[in-house]
Amino acid sequence: MVSSQDSDSINSTKLRTSDLPITSRPTAAILILIIGLGGILFGLALSISVGAADIKLSTVWEAVFHFNPDIRQHQVIWELRIPRSLAGALVGACFAVAGAMMQGMTRNPLADSGLLGLNAGATAALAFAFAFTPSMPFTLIMLFCFIGAALAALLVFGIGSLSRNGLTPIRLTLAGAAVSALLLAVSQGVAILFHLSQDLTFWLAGGVAGTTWGQLKIMAPPILVALIVAMMMSRSITLLSLGSEVAAGLGQNTRLVQAGGMLTVVVLAGTAVSAVGPIAFVGLLIPHITRYLVGIDYRWVIPCSAVLGSLLLIFADIGARLLNAPYETPIGALISLLGVPFFIYLASRRKGAVS
Amino acid sequence: MFALKRNKSGSTKLAMAGLAALMVILSACGDNNAGNAANSTAGSTTAPSAEATAAPSQGEAKTVTDAMGHQVSIPVNPQRVLASYLEDHLVTLGVKPVAQWSVPNGIQEYLSPELKEVPTISYDLPLEAVTSFAPDLIIVDSESAVQNGLYDQYNKIAPTYVLGDAVNKDWRKALTTIGDLLGKSAEAAQAIKDYDQKAAEAKEKLASVAGGQSAAALWLVQKNFYLVDETRASGEVLYKDLGLASPNLVTEIPADQRATWNPISLEKLSELKADHIFLVNSDKSDSSEILNSATWKSIPAVKAGHVYELSSNSTWLYSGATADSKTIDDILKFLVKQ
Amino acid sequence: MSKPILSSYEKQRRTRNITVLSLLGFLIATVFVISMNTGFMRLSPLEVLQTIGGQGNHQQKLILFDFRLPRIVISLLVGAGFAVSGCILQSLSRNALAEPSTLGITAGAGFAVILFISFFPATTAAPIYVLPLLALLGAGLTAALIYILAFRREGLSQARLVLIGIAVAAGINAYQIVLALRLDPKNYQFVATWMAGKIWGGDWRFVLALLPWIVVLLPFAFYKARVLNVLNLGDQMSTGLGAPVERERLLLLAAAVALAGSCVAVSGGIGFVGLIAPQLARRLVGPRHQVLLPAAALTGGLLLLAADTIGRWIMQPAEVPAGVVVAVIGAPYFLYLLAKSRA
Repeated sequence: MVSSQDSDSINSTKLRTSDLPITSRPTAAILILIIGLGGILFGLALSISVGAADIKLSTVWEAVFHFNPDIRQHQVIWELRIPRSLAGALVGACFAVAGAMMQGMTRNPLADSGLLGLNAGATAALAFAFAFTPSMPFTLIMLFCFIGAALAALLVFGIGSLSRNGLTPIRLTLAGAAVSALLLAVSQGVAILFHLSQDLTFWLAGGVAGTTWGQLKIMAPPILVALIVAMMMSRSITLLSLGSEVAAGLGQNTRLVQAGGMLTVVVLAGTAVSAVGPIAFVGLLIPHITRYLVGIDYRWVIPCSAVLGSLLLIFADIGARLLNAPYETPIGALISLLGVPFFIYLASRRKGAVS
Repeated sequence: MFALKRNKSGSTKLAMAGLAALMVILSACGDNNAGNAANSTAGSTTAPSAEATAAPSQGEAKTVTDAMGHQVSIPVNPQRVLASYLEDHLVTLGVKPVAQWSVPNGIQEYLSPELKEVPTISYDLPLEAVTSFAPDLIIVDSESAVQNGLYDQYNKIAPTYVLGDAVNKDWRKALTTIGDLLGKSAEAAQAIKDYDQKAAEAKEKLASVAGGQSAAALWLVQKNFYLVDETRASGEVLYKDLGLASPNLVTEIPADQRATWNPISLEKLSELKADHIFLVNSDKSDSSEILNSATWKSIPAVKAGHVYELSSNSTWLYSGATADSKTIDDILKFLVKQ
Repeated sequence: MSKPILSSYEKQRRTRNITVLSLLGFLIATVFVISMNTGFMRLSPLEVLQTIGGQGNHQQKLILFDFRLPRIVISLLVGAGFAVSGCILQSLSRNALAEPSTLGITAGAGFAVILFISFFPATTAAPIYVLPLLALLGAGLTAALIYILAFRREGLSQARLVLIGIAVAAGINAYQIVLALRLDPKNYQFVATWMAGKIWGGDWRFVLALLPWIVVLLPFAFYKARVLNVLNLGDQMSTGLGAPVERERLLLLAAAVALAGSCVAVSGGIGFVGLIAPQLARRLVGPRHQVLLPAAALTGGLLLLAADTIGRWIMQPAEVPAGVVVAVIGAPYFLYLLAKSRA
């Protein structure tokens, strides 16, 4: 539905969009894509080479190219390290693209799945899941988180857009903060009543450790589809990022694009959160860096964000494993260390324009 | 929210009366807690702090110092003891507590035969719940349970003795201390002696069938493995009491980070060089994936079929004479039969 | 605009204010009585009355006078403190959504406590006032940080203040998770309960610890009511009216932070009281701080007392922390305000 809408707008607006102030630097973007993909390959290689078990580099490569199921180390590489590294790459792309789309559609530089309540929604759903069914299969946990994230997103965006002036950045951020506070309070209450606070905190801290091929198989298809849809929508998002009046003036059905975009964001962020826990700030950090590098044309911003997001998460995960080996440092916390100062910088840089 | 309250006690009439009584309360609140009128359930042994300075002699309370430095006057022959999460020791000493530890989804299952009729109390020991059981002695396991003035609140209900983490870590010390408090020192000493004898016999038996072999105790919760420490809970039984060898991963746990159960990734676990694995599985349906993984199956002990699964209700997560004695039974059952 | 009409309007307003304030007082008294009758131990209203009259047994006296009453008093004081703190912050920032928890002050206080517990485990009887003082320190430092970050030469932007508050709170939460994971389960449970805002300091000593702050700062805020009226008009306006804006604002901000900090110290992370109470009060008595502040204080006390009572009762025998109850009631109200506001 979205793509047909998109092509309509292309037909009717082809001439005029060129007049708009869309800065883009395709050369930089292509460079980022090439170098980034190289970096991802290098990161993946590095990622499967380090870990808690001592495995020699030569054994690692043997495991990759001449897999022998009888060798214990080969099993570790295939069953634990490779899915984990791939999950990191996928999830990083998810968070980054979801953030980029949210920021573009809502014209809110502070949009991020963590700040907009999606993570809290997943957490609340998880708290209930832990409390009422102490042991449930992973797929069900994922589903729960996903529903929680989706409901929270609906709530935040619903309330954010209720007012006459529509979704202003500060309104969205405030709605996100309030919904987060509500849902986290509910989770806290459930956790205290059912004596599972620390279980929940472990999940809150986030991490890609323990991802299995089975989980990867479940999460990969929706993520890939959503990423492709995001790419297809990138043009409409560029127009929306210039303001809904501009987009509407160019013949775009803004409501439809916003709805489709939100659905994509929920799929991306919901799946990612359910797989690795609420990792905040990737979706905030990466799109900003990307826009700084390649300009504001989302046809470039979205793929570049995906690549850079993958890169960030792969290396953060490597750091999480090495920092306090043999124990894992929570990756969510690690990324927050980077993200918080950046967020404060963004918030304090903005002048009266936010209100 | 107001509808909710109306359901509670439709006491609007009393509201007015209570309003009138407000002044009374405010003037009365200062001096009431010294009241030493023992209530009907507690019997006459409730010892208000004032009369407890005498030396320990027959028929009088004795004063002892607990782990946090409180002077606690212990009534002679306390009848209504509350010692949440220390019930193992009470059972060993043949004392029935007034209430037993519980969380919303469980109690200490292994003690349920002995504590069948004992009502439960929430793990966080709410003040009013404690009061409702009218204990004459409260024993608290850890300093953290009585932080920030909570101690004084409990102490108003009944003399409260804090065992402390340092003592509680070693069940023999904990049992001895509790035995002393309850006037059952001889029983405590006897229980330790009995246990040590049982352990020695078991050790001998094991030496003949599994001499020099190593074993590890793992706990699986929410997809995560935890490895028991050498000196605590079932680790103490395995290594110290029964003389099984500690495998590589157990000895490699960084000394400054040792907890009773230490998190360990499956990846690291793949390097476990142990002859036997005792697996406490707290996650039945969730665990199938991880226990069917090729990595788990490639661990030598798993390959050899030397994995013994224990339910999460088993005594392996606890320590104490009663728990450890049952742990020994488990170990013998699995290792000696073969 | 003739004089008689104005004064009759004035009179009407005064009667209305008095009605509202006494109604709030009456509601507090009602909830007070219900709260005295609510708890794990079933005491019949008659028994409560008898005990109050001095005839109860040791157990009943203990429960009423040592457990329930101090807790009720603390709920009232903390509620009033948060409400006045929120009211000041809202007027200073001219932002209806400002309050100690949205501005990250609550999180800062909580962080200081977690930090202390993770490095100094409670192996000895720590002095009872250590945590409250730390919480106060944490609140102060966080507020200073937010103020510095939000302050610009052209003045304090209200939007920026709230955004930075949210950012700082998010950051503190992230660090908190790292710290919390290192705690052993028992300490963790304590911290989790504390952060969820359970009124745990049910002890007369906590009343005494909190009382000085309330007794000094509430009258101070009431005394500054006229300044707040002026500041609420906006910087240019108030400078025009001759108020030394920056000094007064800092003074009031410090008072708000100290109030919030001392309340967090005793009650843990309770949010939203500071948001809802002033809002409701404003609806009831209008924007004049001379009436607004006392009305907000009463509303806040009522709100928290009701929340604590509901929390004790609703899932018996388990206790739901008051902070959770308040959040469940307060967050939807916040969202409603947000949906209605034009910001």
